[in-house]
Amino acid sequence: MGKPLLLLWIGLMLIACESAQEEKTPVRLFETIEATQVGIHFKNQLKEDDSLNILDYLYFYNGGGVAMGDINNDGLPDLFFSSNQGANKLYLNKGDLTFEDISEKAGIEGNSSWNTGTVIADVNGDGFNDIYVLAVVGINGFQGHNELYINQGDNTFIESSKDYGLDIAAYGTTASFFDYDLDGDLDVYILNHAVHTQESFGRAHIRNRRNPMTGDRLMQNNNGNFVDVSEAAGIYGGDNGYGLGLSISDFNQDGMPDIYVGNDFHEDDYYYLNNGDGTFTESLKEYFGHTSRFSMGNAVGDVNQDGRPDLISLDMLPEDETVLKSSEGDDTYHTLKMRTEQFGYHFQYARNMLFLNSNSGTFSEQALQTGIAATDWSWSALFGDFDHDGHEDLFISNGIPKRPNDLDFVRFVSNEQIQKTIRNSRLMDQKALEMMPSGAVPNYVFQGNGNGTFVDKSAEWTGNIPSISGATAVGDLDGDGDLDLVTNNINAAPTLYINQTDKEHYLKLRFQFSDANPFGIGTKAFLYTEHELQYRELFPNKGWQASSEAMLHFGIPKNTSVDSLVIVWPDQTSQRILTPKMDATVTITPKNTVPWNPTRTHQKRKHWNDVSEALGLQYTHQEDNYSDFNVQKLIPYQISDRGPAVAIGDLNNDQLEDVFFGGAAGQPARIYLQKNGAFEYYHDPVIEADSLYENVSAVILDINQDGFNDLLVGNGGNRIQPSLQFLKDGLYLGSANGFQKQPWTEEMVNTSIVTASSKGDFVFVGNHSKPLDFGNSTASYVVSTSKSGLTQHRQEFMVDGMITDALWSDIDADGDEDLLIIGEWMAPVILDNNNGTFQKRSNGVPKVSGLWQTAEAFDIDHDGDTDYVLGNWGLNSKLKATNEYPLHMYYTDFDANGISETVVSLEKNGAYYPLLGLNELAEQLVYLRKKFVSYTEFAGKTMEEVFGAEALEKAKQFQVNTLASGYLRNDQGCFSWHAFPAELQVAPIKAFTSFSEENTNQLLAGGNYFGVIPFHGRFDSFSGSVIRSEKEQESVTAYGLDFYQKSVRHLKMITITNKTHLLVVYNNETSQVYELDENNP
Amino acid sequence: MNWMKTTLSLLIVMLAAASCQKKEPIVITPDDFRNSVDQVTDIMVHDIFSPPVASRIYSYPNIAAYEIVAQGDSTYQSLAGQINGLTAIPAPENKNLNYPVAAMVAHMNLSQSLIFSEDRMQHFSDSLYQKWSQQNEEEFTTAKAYGLKVANHIRAWMNDDLYKETRTMSKFTVDTDDPARWQPTPPAYMDGIEPHWMKIRPFVLDSSNQLQPIPPPEFSLEKDSQFYKELLEVYEVSQGITEAGDTSEEIGIAQFWDCNPYVSVTRGHLMFATKKITPGAHWIGITEIATEQAETDFNATVHAYTKTSMAIFDGFISCWDEKYRSNLIRPETLINLYIDENWKPILQTPPFPEYTSGHSVVSGAASTVLTGIFGDDFAFDDDTELPFGIPIRSFPSFNKAADEAALSRLYGGIHYRAAIDEGLKQGRSLGTLINETITMKN
Repeated sequence: MGKPLLLLWIGLMLIACESAQEEKTPVRLFETIEATQVGIHFKNQLKEDDSLNILDYLYFYNGGGVAMGDINNDGLPDLFFSSNQGANKLYLNKGDLTFEDISEKAGIEGNSSWNTGTVIADVNGDGFNDIYVLAVVGINGFQGHNELYINQGDNTFIESSKDYGLDIAAYGTTASFFDYDLDGDLDVYILNHAVHTQESFGRAHIRNRRNPMTGDRLMQNNNGNFVDVSEAAGIYGGDNGYGLGLSISDFNQDGMPDIYVGNDFHEDDYYYLNNGDGTFTESLKEYFGHTSRFSMGNAVGDVNQDGRPDLISLDMLPEDETVLKSSEGDDTYHTLKMRTEQFGYHFQYARNMLFLNSNSGTFSEQALQTGIAATDWSWSALFGDFDHDGHEDLFISNGIPKRPNDLDFVRFVSNEQIQKTIRNSRLMDQKALEMMPSGAVPNYVFQGNGNGTFVDKSAEWTGNIPSISGATAVGDLDGDGDLDLVTNNINAAPTLYINQTDKEHYLKLRFQFSDANPFGIGTKAFLYTEHELQYRELFPNKGWQASSEAMLHFGIPKNTSVDSLVIVWPDQTSQRILTPKMDATVTITPKNTVPWNPTRTHQKRKHWNDVSEALGLQYTHQEDNYSDFNVQKLIPYQISDRGPAVAIGDLNNDQLEDVFFGGAAGQPARIYLQKNGAFEYYHDPVIEADSLYENVSAVILDINQDGFNDLLVGNGGNRIQPSLQFLKDGLYLGSANGFQKQPWTEEMVNTSIVTASSKGDFVFVGNHSKPLDFGNSTASYVVSTSKSGLTQHRQEFMVDGMITDALWSDIDADGDEDLLIIGEWMAPVILDNNNGTFQKRSNGVPKVSGLWQTAEAFDIDHDGDTDYVLGNWGLNSKLKATNEYPLHMYYTDFDANGISETVVSLEKNGAYYPLLGLNELAEQLVYLRKKFVSYTEFAGKTMEEVFGAEALEKAKQFQVNTLASGYLRNDQGCFSWHAFPAELQVAPIKAFTSFSEENTNQLLAGGNYFGVIPFHGRFDSFSGSVIRSEKEQESVTAYGLDFYQKSVRHLKMITITNKTHLLVVYNNETSQVYELDENNP
Repeated sequence: MNWMKTTLSLLIVMLAAASCQKKEPIVITPDDFRNSVDQVTDIMVHDIFSPPVASRIYSYPNIAAYEIVAQGDSTYQSLAGQINGLTAIPAPENKNLNYPVAAMVAHMNLSQSLIFSEDRMQHFSDSLYQKWSQQNEEEFTTAKAYGLKVANHIRAWMNDDLYKETRTMSKFTVDTDDPARWQPTPPAYMDGIEPHWMKIRPFVLDSSNQLQPIPPPEFSLEKDSQFYKELLEVYEVSQGITEAGDTSEEIGIAQFWDCNPYVSVTRGHLMFATKKITPGAHWIGITEIATEQAETDFNATVHAYTKTSMAIFDGFISCWDEKYRSNLIRPETLINLYIDENWKPILQTPPFPEYTSGHSVVSGAASTVLTGIFGDDFAFDDDTELPFGIPIRSFPSFNKAADEAALSRLYGGIHYRAAIDEGLKQGRSLGTLINETITMKN
């Protein structure tokens, strides 16, 4: 080393040492301890060879199991580890974090060739916990069966699975002991996994055909003899059940435990609701809009503290940009469409899902909004209040020895390696396996906020140590009152996460319930504090191939007083305990119990009756098969699905409100006339003849002032079609003899909104985009009306974005109507009306650029002036936007082929990356294949590195600062922007309407949207809300309505025989009319 | 300027004289050309190109090389004016040119711009350039300049063939309502590839539908319909072969002619691809064997490759035109739905409609052209698939090889009989058309 270099090196060392001294090791919430330090020398070492590896057995890397439970009733949870190929181990907890290996003496080391999950439960109800170990038997020469170790009460066990009928030899994953038939003893659900090749999806119905090896089993306990009742109980058992996740919970709070099964690959997850008669009804599609694609472990916890159990289901979406872009992602648009529409499967997307249990029984999926969607190759999720702040936190274990979905491996590396060594096409040698990148990554810990949202605390709480961790158990290992964790790792000793919390309070509950169920499995506890509720259920066989300590743990922050604790026993009796002891472990036995009355759903405060059928007003919109992504492969959402159009007004001069519905391309529009308090379909040949137009907006008014209302229909569709003529907006002039079409415009663009001023003197025609040229500007117009129809006198406006909606309203309170114009990739624009001349207002409008969908006038702060509510994309999305880091979209001819494309880009750790991966981008921009000949070269590259600064500079740039829906608050004519609360951000809001309730104006909001590629998922989780004020909102489920899984496009109030009704119009669904119960006080 | 010209000419003469004294001419062998084509084949396997795109990557570089050959050897006739849109390449300024070197340069240069992994082609050409410039720098420099000039001429013509435009045209929309129409197939359920390939400008055909085959048997699931009989034949033949076992002749034939550039394999979360050459590449391989066996000289070698690759190129256009017209469902989809849910074809079903069989069309066209050059009694041992672990097969003639290639699709379980028979006819008509209308050798 030369002198100057040496000096430099010393200098650097000095600097480095200094900063290291300053930093000090931070005190972490969890001290991570390698198990060998506390006497645990277990290690799940995988022995790979040419005949047994990931190629021969698809779940070769799923790891062993871990069970934490007290086997000698000394109050300290002991630890049992199952090893895939080695001996299982049992460690007695001797206190002070010392463990004694009693495996050999205990006789639990096992005889199966391949062990998987393990659970602890008192199977025979003798007051001592027994151990059940799952095995995979019958493939790859694996021998053995599931083993049941019955505790002899002296730290020894006798394998007795045969005696109990539980010596099942199948492809076991894990099991859960619980009392499904409410007869007092513990039954068991055994989760098995398929090994069936998933090369062909097969149809969904094959789950009905039982396969004893792969099918799950529900085993009923008949006096110690477990009998397979799966078929009679309605449990699926087909070839397709890649069962990896299992959670038991009384999801619908009817007092009977239900089952959620997470299935890997294309098989749907199963949601079994307990019917109470020994049977279950699988109800996934009704209550879950979508699920994870590669479902792994799942877990239950009441994360938003509403007393209803919520659910997380894990998947394998990486957070890290480089890993993300070099891994296989979601299905293509077409594959998902085929799997759902033709093959009968449900919607599945490759990311974690957080299902918040709503009071209508449906689950609102909010993983993206709550920040826990991407935790890489994840196995186990466990909820627990780790920091004692009164909110459930979340631990997720993850990691895989080799990433088999690495795109370079899939497309390039594997083949070349295989070709060098191949003997036949089914054998792959060790070297090829080694070319997959490692997937050792730090586990995740999230701090819960009590409202369903989480903050990533992995680094702060655990120090981010990379590992390959699977099965995880939670409990108080050191007896200090807080929750510790232990993970079973692959090819490494287990890790203990010892919780160092000592500030706040805790409460640990144990139960002594009955002879057959001594530890009270299935008991619920509701802890009421001043402002909050904490809810727990005791189902310790949970997590991934694991089971946890059989106790309920609550964290209670300082200065929080506990009002009461309500215990609900498995037999549906309950007891209330006032001011329970703090910082203690309390054992509760049934005492002074009273019957518990389950409240299945919250009481509906109001009930709006669905009168669609009675009124004969039902319009089924049928979206055609066109997909924008076939043509414009990079646009962020579809443009062809903006219908239907709807307009309310008198169409036959009888002063009653009639309804016009405009159809999708290929579907004729329909008119319904109001007659005698109901509706009649009226066939108008002129209007129905224009069925090839895609109607997206319509307005009824007497344009030519002849005493008959006319109809103006805005058309869009954005498609390749024989003639662009079908994009022209239609003007139909009313008369005593029906409608006559009058040509009035030559413009052929995607119109989004036609709307008339209330006096009818102006019509605004708002245009979204040019057909097949998303990103190019198009003009919109204010057109004057006159006796001759729509005049040539029109004022043209250009905006920097794509208009979606416009609202006539006297914004400046000068007595005439102005225009509020909103749209995507733009900030709201106000056109001031100055005696019929409209001018863009340059100030006084906040420059909040969004993906605005809808606008409505509503005095949200009840101060007498008009505020404006705006529906946006929502926050439950992979898109993100802030003022500091807006969402970007570039529009230019990237590949110089004469057609411009759009590329969306977002920020991650301060840099901007393309939203989509190389496969998606190169579908349109083929030159990228040549620029990046491997995925490694592409992954982690910024926008500039991918496209070049010059191209980006040249491009037209759009941006979005916020995706939140919210409102422009009017304070003395000045507008300020405010976002709605989180409940209103779970999906795009596409429609508002206001209505009167108890003489106060209320606002109704609806939304949801499905026109995106599977990468984005499906925005199906917004049930709709009634917004009362800036702070107050309530789900419309309280009114008996639910927009869950439907895409609302219009909410309109309509008067039918002097009564107010709500008309709800959906895309690709049948419309509904509700009678407001204001009408029947 | 006159003085300058004179001085320059003098200088050139002097230089030429000087170099002539020291340097021998660069000798290019037929193997050099074959190696260059082989290099392109290897890179294509790595980069993954669909069969139609692969046919394009072979043909334009070959034509560029051939046009240079025709410049330097009057026994060969230029294709300019004979094939759609091709104009005469610029004549060399100096007739005293090493044409084979120029032909090689043009071939490598065009190939490089057509594949993805440019580095690999660059590496290959750099090592040759280095060798040649050491052997005879001046001769090389002149030939290289000319080769690049011709490559540019061909490139300009190539760029007008609508390939680039078709890259960004719409994806294929699957018709899910009509049970007779094509559906994506396991395991990757890929979109139908190259739905606009019929829009590409052919070389010899006047339009993509010039040789339109008769329609396939009418779709029907009635037991006595022709269509259903052919569907059942695929299933029964496949079951028979499977019973006979992996060593059966039929499985050997199916695998030998598989020629699927991207077979995706899924084992749980583990995915990988086994990649092979395309049907076109197999016939390019046979051309290589034929030229070796016949010991053709450099020019004749280039001629054989060029004509064969043109036949393959037009074959895919003609075939794809029919595929997306008839848009017929694959046997795998129907068998899984109506006959045997667990049935898997011996070969993986490629991602495009069934009728006609691409391999049959291409084999018919290529074999007819090769027969025209080398005769119908040209027996050969086909070792093209050896690098993929598949043993040699021997054929008495190109036509017999084509018959087997076509039939392999039935054994493989990916085509009905009609697609094979009509595909072969379609290909042979194309081959005959080329033989009859294109004059290459005087």
